[in-house]
Amino acid sequence: MPSMHDELLRLKAAAGDELASISQIGELESFRVKYLGRKGEFTLVLRQLGQAPPEDRPRLGQLANEIKQELESAFAEREAILAQSGVGTSQPTVDLTLPGRTLPFGKLHPVTQVMDTVCAIFEGLGFAVAEGPDVEVDFYNFEALNIPPHHPARAMHDTFYISDSLLLRTHTSPMQARIMEKERPPLRMIAPGKVYRCDSDITHTPMFHQVEGFLVDRKISFADLKGVLSVFITKMFAKNTPIRFRPSFFPFTEPSAEVDIGCVICGGKGCRVCKHTGWLEILGAGMIDPEVFKKVGYDPEEYSGFAFGLGIERIAMLKYGITDIRLFYENDLRFLSQF
Amino acid sequence: MKFTFNWLREYIDTDLEPVRIADHLTMLGLEVDACVPCYPDLTGVVVARIEAVQPHPNADKLVLCDVNVGHERKRVVCGAPNARAGLVTALALPGAVLPAGFTIKPAKIRGEESCGMLCSAKELGITEEQVGIMELSPDLEPGQLLSQALGLVDTMIEVDLTPNRPDCASVLGIAREVGGVIGKRIKPPLQIAEPLPLLTGENLPFSVEVESSTDCPRYAARLVKNVKIASSPWWLQQRLLAVGMRPINNIVDITNFVMLEYGQPLHAFDFNKLAGGRIVVRRARAGESLATLDGAEHQLDSEMLMICDAERPVAVAGIMGGANSEVDGGTCDILLESACFSAIGIRRTAGRLNMSTESSYRFERGVDPQGVPKAMERAVQLMAALGSGEIVAGGFDYSAGVVAPVPIILRRNRTCSLLGMDLTLEQIAAALTCIEIDVERIDDDTLRVTPPSFRVDLEREVDLIEEVARIVGYNLLPTTLPMVPMSFSEQDALRELRKKVADTLTALGFYEAINYSFVSPQHGDLLGLAEEDIRRQTVHLLNPLAEDQSVLRTTLLPGLLENLRRNVNHQSYDVRLFEVGKVFHPQGSRQPEEPFRLAAVISGRRNPGAPILHAGETPADLLDVTGIVAQIFDRLQLGKTITCQAGVATQELPFAEPGTVLAVMGGGKILGWCGAFSQKTLKGFGVKQEAFFVDIDLAALAGISPQSKTFAPLPKFPFVKWDMALIVPEGVAAGEMLSAIDECGEKLIEKAEIFDVFQGKNIETGKKSVAISITYRASDRTLDDETVGKVHKKNIEMMISRFNGQLREA
Repeated sequence: MPSMHDELLRLKAAAGDELASISQIGELESFRVKYLGRKGEFTLVLRQLGQAPPEDRPRLGQLANEIKQELESAFAEREAILAQSGVGTSQPTVDLTLPGRTLPFGKLHPVTQVMDTVCAIFEGLGFAVAEGPDVEVDFYNFEALNIPPHHPARAMHDTFYISDSLLLRTHTSPMQARIMEKERPPLRMIAPGKVYRCDSDITHTPMFHQVEGFLVDRKISFADLKGVLSVFITKMFAKNTPIRFRPSFFPFTEPSAEVDIGCVICGGKGCRVCKHTGWLEILGAGMIDPEVFKKVGYDPEEYSGFAFGLGIERIAMLKYGITDIRLFYENDLRFLSQF
Repeated sequence: MKFTFNWLREYIDTDLEPVRIADHLTMLGLEVDACVPCYPDLTGVVVARIEAVQPHPNADKLVLCDVNVGHERKRVVCGAPNARAGLVTALALPGAVLPAGFTIKPAKIRGEESCGMLCSAKELGITEEQVGIMELSPDLEPGQLLSQALGLVDTMIEVDLTPNRPDCASVLGIAREVGGVIGKRIKPPLQIAEPLPLLTGENLPFSVEVESSTDCPRYAARLVKNVKIASSPWWLQQRLLAVGMRPINNIVDITNFVMLEYGQPLHAFDFNKLAGGRIVVRRARAGESLATLDGAEHQLDSEMLMICDAERPVAVAGIMGGANSEVDGGTCDILLESACFSAIGIRRTAGRLNMSTESSYRFERGVDPQGVPKAMERAVQLMAALGSGEIVAGGFDYSAGVVAPVPIILRRNRTCSLLGMDLTLEQIAAALTCIEIDVERIDDDTLRVTPPSFRVDLEREVDLIEEVARIVGYNLLPTTLPMVPMSFSEQDALRELRKKVADTLTALGFYEAINYSFVSPQHGDLLGLAEEDIRRQTVHLLNPLAEDQSVLRTTLLPGLLENLRRNVNHQSYDVRLFEVGKVFHPQGSRQPEEPFRLAAVISGRRNPGAPILHAGETPADLLDVTGIVAQIFDRLQLGKTITCQAGVATQELPFAEPGTVLAVMGGGKILGWCGAFSQKTLKGFGVKQEAFFVDIDLAALAGISPQSKTFAPLPKFPFVKWDMALIVPEGVAAGEMLSAIDECGEKLIEKAEIFDVFQGKNIETGKKSVAISITYRASDRTLDDETVGKVHKKNIEMMISRFNGQLREA
């Protein structure tokens, strides 16, 4: 039987040679098992340490450890070299320029995406969401909003009628009256939905989407209206979007305002989209008219509030640069997949 | 409302550029839609006098003109019939660019030199009329720039008026607003002192009778005799042309001009055509009719206010004159009307006759009753000044219906709290007086405000607060966030469900579609629906835009089929579309029911969008649809509650391929369907490839509670899988085989899954092989082969006896 000392040196030499000859990373594992593993040759030799003369044991033990450490670091070095050179992956190389495997995914309609964003901004400000009927009664669509029969403002609404008293709502504003009739202030609501007007061209479709919103409490002012809508616009568009409020007319608000933002297409320099004004009309708003409050039984001396309405398609067109509103309702995948 | 910058400056003194004026107007609530030059750039076009004309040696229809352009003479070839010696006209010199786009160059025309071009008004873009070269006033100095000589430098401004501001349907009204911003008063054009000369009814050669002061609060009339109908002078034509009105003759043009100036519509009757020399303002009588100036014949009724003579209607009051009293070339005397009619009455009449005119536009919104005599006076003065006729002294003025404006109390604190801005009483008063609204201070906090008669929109305190805000400027008002109590309101469950469904479908590869709520009434036929089918009962629009948009939809499927056709026709063949939307079911005269539904269509490749290299071109089939439906309900935590069942009666789905339909069942009810469209349906909708559908009642789905999310401890011990392959008659439903394993009650069975169904080689005809993999697991120990073997054997025996099968040998 060779001395344990010789045996250790032989193992060291054999292992060293074998390690140097390994050229495939996959072969390293069998080497590790063979020499360094739990049942490997070194372990077997070390197990015999107990049988060596006691005076030799410290020396042999130290030698065995040194050799093991040397081998382990040589092994790590070899492994690193092989890993780096990439030699040893036995599978054929993958052509990574081939298309990856995909699962299908779809997208929400751009109108829904913008609608969701608008609603989320107002919900973040504590507005609750309510939806109403598409087929509305004349009273809520017009009279409750201070638009009596034959009022010239009716000419602004090209109404689809179903009967003398039923129509397709021309705006989402009827929800103001419907909600106020049932509930008492404080109220903070938005009403998203489809609206209808008999009009069809490159900038009008007979159906489109609006979000109506209103806030009613004691001591609500026009300044509050400006504040809430400014927050909305900076969230919906960019932080530094220029905003201007200018007087307008709606029968159910007084004072009434139209809100413009600096043209998102030309940056305010003037272009075809903003009719060379540098401004884009983005929503209509105003302080709720005392007549509307009276119709729902609120005392206009006690409560005040503001209301606003905006068209979703218009915002989507401006945000995405869409030039023909009719594209929204053709549901062409080449269109839908762009958003 | 259109006007021009030069016109405006006749009434208000301003140095501001037109674009600045336009900005001010927009910020005052008079939104400017257009602000454009009235005339083309006429650089290089000068006034020229033809000194002599001689025939062109080589052309019959051309002449050679010797033209004086001030400092020199030029030779110009001209083909106009009115080219003659002494005519002062317009010459475009070489280098000038005409509006049509071509540049004038010296040229030889049929061998003769021509140094420029004599132009018609149309060629210069000044008027539409083409009557030879321009005939200018002989007083004009040759050589002057034409644009200077004729005042052809002006800007047209168009304001999109809101219905509450009829006072601004006049150049004077606009000027008043501009004056408010720049701190100046307007200069009215009327060159006489107020009060106006009395219009007395004594010894008049005509009479006026007004039946109702409500219908017609004010009516004034004057007679102009021996009128000379002629063309209007250039300055008047120019005003009308600039705002898009066609000049007709001096009388009509003056009435139109004064209407634009004052906002007061006027009408001129041919006095000699008025029977009895009388005007009666009354409602039409049953059976009466009138042909109006536009040539239309109208049947009248007692709701309509008419201007009549002793016998018959001669004008629709405030809307349009009658042909029977029209001013024409033979007119000798005219009766001029200036009146104020009830806004509601005019709206009603205009609505019933479906007429809309410049006149009705103003009356419908309300004209200034105090403006009636002023506009009348202005018109007759113009007629006199232009030599159009002799003004008969005196006139008639009925004003029984004129109501004095009611003063309004305006509180400072109310104004400040509504606007959110601290304003002094002086600031408030100043804002109002600068637009001619009279105020009177009552105390430190209160004003008594008398709205001017032209501001028919000012009736309440809040209307005045808006005026204050407008003049202060909306952008100078503060911007604050409201102080409101915190609250959190209940979420609408159906809305949440819709969102979740939409999110699930997009995750499954579907794009969302949104279709119009109105559809074609043909859809019921195209779907082959039975006569009594509820989806045949539709809500009809009274005034649809088109026949194919005339009823409200009762199902979402036709819209999606039309979308599918469009996509396939545009070469998008792999289509997964869904829509979540309302359908409409009529409920008599009440509002229809509007339940939400979910519908989807699937067509083309199974893996739309995935590379063909990996996914191949396998088309989607019915099992893709059932898989998708199962995934939707899994996502909604309804996977165990809702099942798809085949073999349910399908008379509701005549549009589906027989044998392909599954009912979506939940809570003991049918919630919807999925399946394949029949070839006939696809053909009817023009779809050229196979397609599948899902159609689910979301409102009913919302009524089913999802399973609660309850944690089950994770298994501690491993499972083992044992397979069985059984040969069974081919009619056995694989699903029932799985159910049988589920239902056998063996608690070591965790799951059973079919991994192969095979017919063919080595399998007897009429039979099939179904391979099932069963997962066994115990919750308290690792299973050994012996235990599993026993249970598995028992299972195989149960399956063999239940399905008349036999074990397939390996």
